[in-house]
Amino acid sequence: MTLLSVDGIRKTFGGIVAVEDVSFDVDRNEIVGVIGPNGAGKSTTFRLLTGFHTPDAGTVEFDGEDVTDHSPDARARSGMIRTFQIAQELTGMPVMQNMLLAAQGHPGERAVTSALGIGGTSAFEADQRDRAEELLKLLELWELRDEYAGNLSGGQRKLLELGRSLMADPDLLLLDEPMAGVNPDLTDRLLERILELRDQRDMTFLFVEHDIDAVMRVADTVVGMHNGAVLSMGSPEEVQSDDRMLEAYLGGEV
Amino acid sequence: MALLDLFLVVGIIAGVYSLLAIGMNMHWGDTGLLNFAHAAFFAVGAYTSAILTTPTPEAGLLAERTVGFDLPVVVGIVAGTVLAAVLGFVIATTSVRLEGDYLAMVTLSSAELVRLVIHNEAWLTTGAQTLKNIPRPMESTVATLPVSYDVFYFLLVWALVGATYLLFERMSNGPFGRVLHAIRENDDVALALGKDVTQFKLKSFAIGAGVAGLAGTLWAHYVYAISPVMFLPSITFLIWAAVIIGGAGSYAGAIVGAVVIVFLRQVTRFIPGSVPFSDQMSYLRLMLVGVVLVAVLYYRPEGLLGNAERLQAGTSEGE
Amino acid sequence: MVLDPQFIWNGIVVGSIISVSALGLTLIFGILNFINIAYGDYMATGAYLAFALNAQIGLPLGVAIVAGVAGMAAGAVLIDKLVFEHFRTSSPVTLLIVSIGVAFFIRNLIRAIWGPTGNFYDVPIEANPNLFGVRYSVEQLSIIVASLLLLTAVYVLLRRTRIGIAMRAASDDRTLTRIRGVDTERLVLYVWIAGGAIAGLGGIMLGLDAQIRPNMGFTALIPIFAATILGGIGDPKGAVAGGFAIGILQEVSVVVVPSEYKFAVALAALIVGLLLRPDGLFGEATR
Ligand SMILES: Nc1ncnc2c1ncn2[C@@H]1O[C@H](COP(=O)(O)OP(=O)(O)OP(=O)(O)O)[C@@H](O)[C@H]1O
Ligand SMILES: [Mg+2]
Repeated sequence: MTLLSVDGIRKTFGGIVAVEDVSFDVDRNEIVGVIGPNGAGKSTTFRLLTGFHTPDAGTVEFDGEDVTDHSPDARARSGMIRTFQIAQELTGMPVMQNMLLAAQGHPGERAVTSALGIGGTSAFEADQRDRAEELLKLLELWELRDEYAGNLSGGQRKLLELGRSLMADPDLLLLDEPMAGVNPDLTDRLLERILELRDQRDMTFLFVEHDIDAVMRVADTVVGMHNGAVLSMGSPEEVQSDDRMLEAYLGGEV
Repeated sequence: MALLDLFLVVGIIAGVYSLLAIGMNMHWGDTGLLNFAHAAFFAVGAYTSAILTTPTPEAGLLAERTVGFDLPVVVGIVAGTVLAAVLGFVIATTSVRLEGDYLAMVTLSSAELVRLVIHNEAWLTTGAQTLKNIPRPMESTVATLPVSYDVFYFLLVWALVGATYLLFERMSNGPFGRVLHAIRENDDVALALGKDVTQFKLKSFAIGAGVAGLAGTLWAHYVYAISPVMFLPSITFLIWAAVIIGGAGSYAGAIVGAVVIVFLRQVTRFIPGSVPFSDQMSYLRLMLVGVVLVAVLYYRPEGLLGNAERLQAGTSEGE
Repeated sequence: MVLDPQFIWNGIVVGSIISVSALGLTLIFGILNFINIAYGDYMATGAYLAFALNAQIGLPLGVAIVAGVAGMAAGAVLIDKLVFEHFRTSSPVTLLIVSIGVAFFIRNLIRAIWGPTGNFYDVPIEANPNLFGVRYSVEQLSIIVASLLLLTAVYVLLRRTRIGIAMRAASDDRTLTRIRGVDTERLVLYVWIAGGAIAGLGGIMLGLDAQIRPNMGFTALIPIFAATILGGIGDPKGAVAGGFAIGILQEVSVVVVPSEYKFAVALAALIVGLLLRPDGLFGEATR
């Protein structure tokens, strides 16, 4: 069953065409990898899907609903959570607070309930702390829970960002290069975790990654992009052996 | 006991300023919003309560005001607070999506527009003249007690400061404040995590404006008489100075900052006898406020009670 | 409805003052990237310096004006050395707040020296001549002439001189200029000289048109902000156009709104302008 359906989206900046007529579907419970050389339009596509840019043309459908005009926060609330390519941790907030912020439907986020601690605020908060503890331990960040996020290393920031997005418990998780700067051991465990979440929690993933091995290991489908367009799409093997992709990468490096 | 009387007067002013600073700290300290309309919220609180609690002036007098409601003071205080919050909400809806500098200029301009209205709509506000005879709450009751009215009012104001402080501390440290802090740090992250950023900014604006309105009502009922010149933008700037000196993000800091500012402005009152340059004293004191503000920003950017560690976090590795 | 040409004339006079003042503010913003709240007080300082030399010492007004403008240019550099220079790496918001401190200092220094009440320049009082039904004064004429001269001078400066071209480049892209090896501190010095001088002149014009008061510049800030934003903050050409637009709009508006509310027109223009064109009249984002 289709969870996300992208149809002919296009985005230009001034004269530059960043994304051109991109269409693809993501099925529920699927793991889709997006690859392509630098500047291919991967991050721009992510921003179009999550509402941080409005497309010049085309539509985005999520869970059977046309969300093309929905704001980023509305899309997030409907179950579509993204991470940023350059980790956007909240530097002036401790790690734990970064995690708790991501909880969805928190009854304490209303001014009155927050001030008076009513409406189930503390019970909900306690639950979320437990969830955060579990995730932080997995991500090897538990010891750092009271540290300001701004004091973490680059790799730790990416992990925190991943943890934060998992805290939101989304239906669809869009990860923009989640493993950049993370050590290989941990990468392995995180990939396992992604597979686990897909099976147990019925999650769907769309992720951009330059680490081709990682993509090959977990992705069901791969979308190969170049110059703003989808160049190749199919099983990991198909895309990997597609000559046009090889050319795109080589061309990008010349 | 002239010194005690003086202490009470200055203490009451400091209490009113503390409320103003608490409101501003919700805007800037917690949410990162550049609000320069604080004087307007203060004014709306003061005028609303004054108009609601005074009778309609008799015709033929100098005052041209034609409305007055003679309601109980409590009604005025509540209405003044609410109306200021509403104004905060309205100003914010026009501008809260704007970037920082623009927001500063638009809010400052909006505040001047509010003052212009107060200045010109004499039928409602007595215009440029003073709106007089604003009743003091429970004045006759307090008269039967063995303490002066100022003692009573001092306690009233500071009790409200205390209650407001506790409420705002809890808001700021709770999940609501967490979202505000996230917005202060980075709008995009809050959006990506499903927070309706505009809605939270509007709430923050309205709540902080409401407290400034409360301060206005307390001010009006203490000083008997108010006029538009009491609500110049310099009030807004003084409150900014208070919040920065106290330490943005800290409610205790906001109160300390307000007390410091009021003390700086009033200190020479405590010096008995004649002082050289006594004519210029009030100006020299305001010059001092300017110097202290700049010095704090230079030597202690986090302010007296602010969190230096938070400001430092993330700055070591470039941007 | 017949529009009284008098309103348009008044609008041009007021527009000249706003344009000149907005130009200085926007130049400073372009290079230093912060809103200088003390700018209005720079204007007042220029006006008072000229007042002291003219009405108090008795120099001819022309000499006093030149000296006032030069004095404020020097003053702006001095304030930079004493204060702003120490905050070069600070955020725009910090600088804005620093400028609040500076504003408090200057405005109250003015009050301490010259007192809180209004003053006038020593100009001969004559009956205002009348041309085609439009009353005008010599001061108004000189305001317009002075503003045109200044605007032309700044235009030439920005277009034809090396430092001006560097200024425009820096205002478009600061890091780029730094990479190309332009001495930014030199640029900052020049911009304070120009900005301070223009502020001083704006203040003197304002004093000639109305009264010299300690908060004269501060109260004029709102239409100046409006013009700056309308023109696209940091854009000199836009600031000038915005200034005339606001000035004329404000004076002509008295036909339809009560004259007490003519300042509200500037505000309305500001808000509408911001919502419709966040990047200013001439489009392209300058920030
Ligand atoms: N806000 C913007 N303004 C102008 N151009 C942009 C903007 N965002 C992206 N671009 C351009 O669009 C193109 C696609 O960029 P995008 O960031 O989507 O690539 P990417 O595939 O994510 O690359 P990378 O692997 O380097 O992250 C690039 O040429 C980029 O310069
Ligand atoms: Mg990218």
